[in-house]
Amino acid sequence: MAEPVRPGPLASRADTARAEAIGARLPPLLLAADRVAATVAQGVHGRRRVGQGDSFWQFCRFVTGDSLQRIDWRQSAKSGRTPPDGWFVRETEWEAAQTVCLWRDGSASMRWHSRAVAEDKRDRANLLLLALASLLLRGGERVRLIADGNAQATRAIEGRFGLERLAGDLAADQGDTSMPPDVSLPRHGAVVLFGDFLSPLDDIRALIGRFAAVPVTGYMLQILDPAETLLPYRGRIRFRGLEQDGDTLIPRVETIRDAYADRLKAQQDGLAAICAAAGFGFGVHRTDHPPETALLSLYTALGATASRR
Amino acid sequence: MSFAEPWVLVALILLPILAWLLRVTPPAPRREDFPAIRLLLGLNATEETPSRTPWWLLALRILAAGLVIVALARPVLDAAVSMQGGGPVLLVIDNGWASAADWPNRAQAAASVLERAERAGRSVALLATAADGSGAPVAATVAMPAADLRPRVTALQPRPWPPDRAAATTALTAWKPNGGSVAYIADGLLHDDAFDRFAAALGAIGPVVEFCCAAEPQRVLLPPGGEADRLVARVAQPPRPVATEAVVLAQSGDGRTLGRTTVALPANAATGAAGLILPPELRNRLTRLVLQGPPSAASVVLLDERWRLRPVGLLAGDRTGDDAPFAGSLYYLRRALGPFTEVRGGDLEGLLARELSVLVLADRPVAPGAEQDALLAWVEKGGLLIRFAGPRSAREVGADPDPLLPVKLLAGDRQLGGALSWNEPARLSAFPTATPFDGLPIADEVRINRQVLAEPTADMAARTWAALSDGTPLVTQAPRGAGRVVLFHVTANADWSHLPLSGLFVDMLRRLVALSVGVVVAGDATLLAPAETLDGFGLLSAPPAAATPLPAEQIARTAASPRHPPGLYGPENGRRALNLGAVLPAPLPAPTVPNATIEPLFDSAPEQALGPPLLAAAVLLLALDMLVSLALRGLLRPRIAGLALLLAASLAPAHAQSPEVTANPALSTRLGYIVSGDPRIDGIALAGLRGLSDYVNRRTSAALSDPDAVDPDRADLSVYPLLYWPIADDAQPLPPARIAALNTYMSRGGIILIDTRDSGSGAGFAPGTEAALRRVSQGLAIPPLAPLGTDHVLSRSFYLLNDFPGRFTGEPVWGQRDQDRANDSVSPVIVGGNDWAAAWAIDASGRNPYAVLPGGQRQRVLAYRFGVNLVMYALTGNYKGDQVHVPAILQRLGQ
Repeated sequence: MAEPVRPGPLASRADTARAEAIGARLPPLLLAADRVAATVAQGVHGRRRVGQGDSFWQFCRFVTGDSLQRIDWRQSAKSGRTPPDGWFVRETEWEAAQTVCLWRDGSASMRWHSRAVAEDKRDRANLLLLALASLLLRGGERVRLIADGNAQATRAIEGRFGLERLAGDLAADQGDTSMPPDVSLPRHGAVVLFGDFLSPLDDIRALIGRFAAVPVTGYMLQILDPAETLLPYRGRIRFRGLEQDGDTLIPRVETIRDAYADRLKAQQDGLAAICAAAGFGFGVHRTDHPPETALLSLYTALGATASRR
Repeated sequence: MSFAEPWVLVALILLPILAWLLRVTPPAPRREDFPAIRLLLGLNATEETPSRTPWWLLALRILAAGLVIVALARPVLDAAVSMQGGGPVLLVIDNGWASAADWPNRAQAAASVLERAERAGRSVALLATAADGSGAPVAATVAMPAADLRPRVTALQPRPWPPDRAAATTALTAWKPNGGSVAYIADGLLHDDAFDRFAAALGAIGPVVEFCCAAEPQRVLLPPGGEADRLVARVAQPPRPVATEAVVLAQSGDGRTLGRTTVALPANAATGAAGLILPPELRNRLTRLVLQGPPSAASVVLLDERWRLRPVGLLAGDRTGDDAPFAGSLYYLRRALGPFTEVRGGDLEGLLARELSVLVLADRPVAPGAEQDALLAWVEKGGLLIRFAGPRSAREVGADPDPLLPVKLLAGDRQLGGALSWNEPARLSAFPTATPFDGLPIADEVRINRQVLAEPTADMAARTWAALSDGTPLVTQAPRGAGRVVLFHVTANADWSHLPLSGLFVDMLRRLVALSVGVVVAGDATLLAPAETLDGFGLLSAPPAAATPLPAEQIARTAASPRHPPGLYGPENGRRALNLGAVLPAPLPAPTVPNATIEPLFDSAPEQALGPPLLAAAVLLLALDMLVSLALRGLLRPRIAGLALLLAASLAPAHAQSPEVTANPALSTRLGYIVSGDPRIDGIALAGLRGLSDYVNRRTSAALSDPDAVDPDRADLSVYPLLYWPIADDAQPLPPARIAALNTYMSRGGIILIDTRDSGSGAGFAPGTEAALRRVSQGLAIPPLAPLGTDHVLSRSFYLLNDFPGRFTGEPVWGQRDQDRANDSVSPVIVGGNDWAAAWAIDASGRNPYAVLPGGQRQRVLAYRFGVNLVMYALTGNYKGDQVHVPAILQRLGQ
């Protein structure tokens, strides 16, 4: 069932509060990033080259023009050479922040929920997106919303208090396409996609291929209503799509339940295969399950702590 | 049960096809939105469209369809048996007076005959046995299709005269179709001796169906007998084996019932009678007697002057011995007049003060002057003055002619016979014709010993109504204006003649009193034209075309007929009544027509068409089917189910709607205030009256309901005993309609408490209200006012009060200055400025929101007490003003 669009900062503030409450149970998320997008923003991901950062990288012989303040006098004294040959400059590793691009499907098929649950899929996607963003911001990462339209909606957000702005951007994004718009993404960034991904697999393969070519990696979370998973209807029903994709009359729904389950499984398997090929993670979430489980799986899939240790 | 269109039933064979169709048609699918539609597309079940319609639902639908088919075939319950024979049907209807009482049943029987004939495709002819008012002879119509005859049968009305069976017999013998049968709607009475021939003529045509026998006896109200103190109502009916009763109502010209009596009709009796006692004034206003029950011409008797009671005043020359037995001058008069009139005594003024038809002066001279003028005026207005001579009046004969004597008398009297006379006491000669005494037998035993003599004049013969054998007048008369003066030349006792001892005296007086109606009795042969006649249901209307005048002498002997319908005849000032019951043979039951099939007239249940209820049942079944279908598809929500049930319920008892209830201020006593338009003032007034009503209910036995806001333009003021009217300072002059409403209210006993709210300290609170009062009171009928003191009823109608404070106090309160007996001396208006409503006001928590000035609980209590006194004053008037209570009140005041 499509609910009216929720505009305005009030709704987003409530969303934000709930998302922060969910995210508060997990430690700050530090993204596992082998390569970090080339940004000037200071972050926690070392770039294995000299640059601005806190970690020591190497000592380097003093050349004329280096600032005297950068001389490491202890190392210079240890070397025992005469100045200025014996002078060493301490260089730090360039540490940068990773940029995570987030997208959620806002199409009509997401604005629907069955009678068994009270929350439609887009609301759940919004909630998970904000909760993830809250974790990332607390971890010092940069977050950016993938949205078509003006640059306002595509700015990168950082800092612990950027969540409000992100929620505002999310509320302002009324795009109703079931695929992310074709915007330029930072190379080696990360992408997290929320949606129901019921489109044909070819379309999704093309999308993921486009992302892989940038290159970016990331995670795809399929959010489904329990009715879409279980097909709990009975009797003679005319089903109607929500995005002008036709209707069909099923004489006895209970007889096709297994066939439907097979098709859904095939779709999900296809999605998983596509994601695995491109280095993306893939997960499925049902709106009648608590959002914390989905967030936990996102955390473990994206988190750097598990991979580094 | 039969079907009007049985071929429709052929459609019943379609029901199995319908059943098959219903089985193969799947139910309509539910609709669901589903985002994952793409995964469903192309998923087709192996099991296509199973027939899941439950068998009972199928049966329900087939039953509904069957009901519709049967209903369209128009089944008819209780269809009457078809009529025997073939050819045209002759419908004979007795529509004389006896048929009026149950005419609707007869019309229904006639309609059923027409329907049966129509179903059988037979033509019908109509024969009404009573002649209609146009004077056309009784004849049968030509045979025509029933549909064409139906308007004529519907238009047929009962007639106020008996049916003419002889003429109907002639018409029957003249009706000669090939074949045919007769339907006879009989009134069950003989009427005349032609019934046997009539029945034979009916039987000669063909098989006869007779609708017979009225459930109630056909009663006839006979003209009443008039007695001195009562009318005797008489009722005739065919004798019946059980005793019954009839109720006779006496009605005046405007239709009001002035009297009522019950006539007992014993078993097997043909008539019954009962007296109807009424005061003379009421009795003289009667215009008709009506038999209670269904209206008909036979249940109405019109009363004319013959039944009027005429009060007679008696006045003697000497008041002392006028009633002495056998000697008093009024002794014989009283006994002669008493049985048939109301006799009054007293002095002349007292007699003339009341309505009086006849005044008898027995040897009483009338002195010239005021007395003579009053009498003369009374006579000229139509009174009948009867004077008797005597020694006193013989002495008083003066030179001037007495205008109250018909002739000029010679002085002294003449003695006939006696010891010193050769002549003998005179006898009466025959009464001259064309006098009221015409036709009275001469009593041989009457001897006249002494008389007064009239001065002979040329017109003496015309003035003489009775003479002695020697030609000298005994009774002379002369008209005076609309009235008449009659002189008996003898005394009213037996001193001068034997006349008062004779029965002739009574007859003569009765004729004279009958003369006193103010109507000159029409001459015998005068033709009286019909003025208003009764129709078959006993209503007066214009006479029918055939009605002709008839001589006055025959009006009592004429039987009602189309030429002389019952009703009123003659000029407007001398109407005579021709009554149906006056000349009517005693009603006797008629036998039934020999060999006739008898059908009851009354309990023939009307044919009932079953189609509409069957259709309604089908609709209900279909509604039920809709509910079941919705339930099977899972769409039945409580709201929809309730709606459908409501719909079905509204179909079934469409007539069981309760009337709408509206608030009626007349149902309980309540105070009201006149809306000023200022919400603050109106709020105070409402709160004040609420507080006062509460106080009155607690302290007194009066029970006041919640007060009302009253708009005099719209509301009916008469239900409010008291209206409180706070004057706003911007009040404008009232529109005329409101002035009229308030004036009517005040003139009929309502009380308005006008409050300018500016007394004492209030002058600052409500400035300008006095000028506003001057504006709004223009046109109001406010009587002259005076300040109310402690002697006014308002100061003691419940509590004893010395002043009348409200929120403010200090200035006098004004009420009507003069006592007006018409309204029980209650002042229609109380004017003051003490802002009583603010003092009485209570808020929702029961507190007084407005402080009283200058203050104190005592002032508040006194304000409430004034309110109680005012309410009591409005409810009980000047009851407490009675002088009876003055001593007690004085005593209490003294303490």
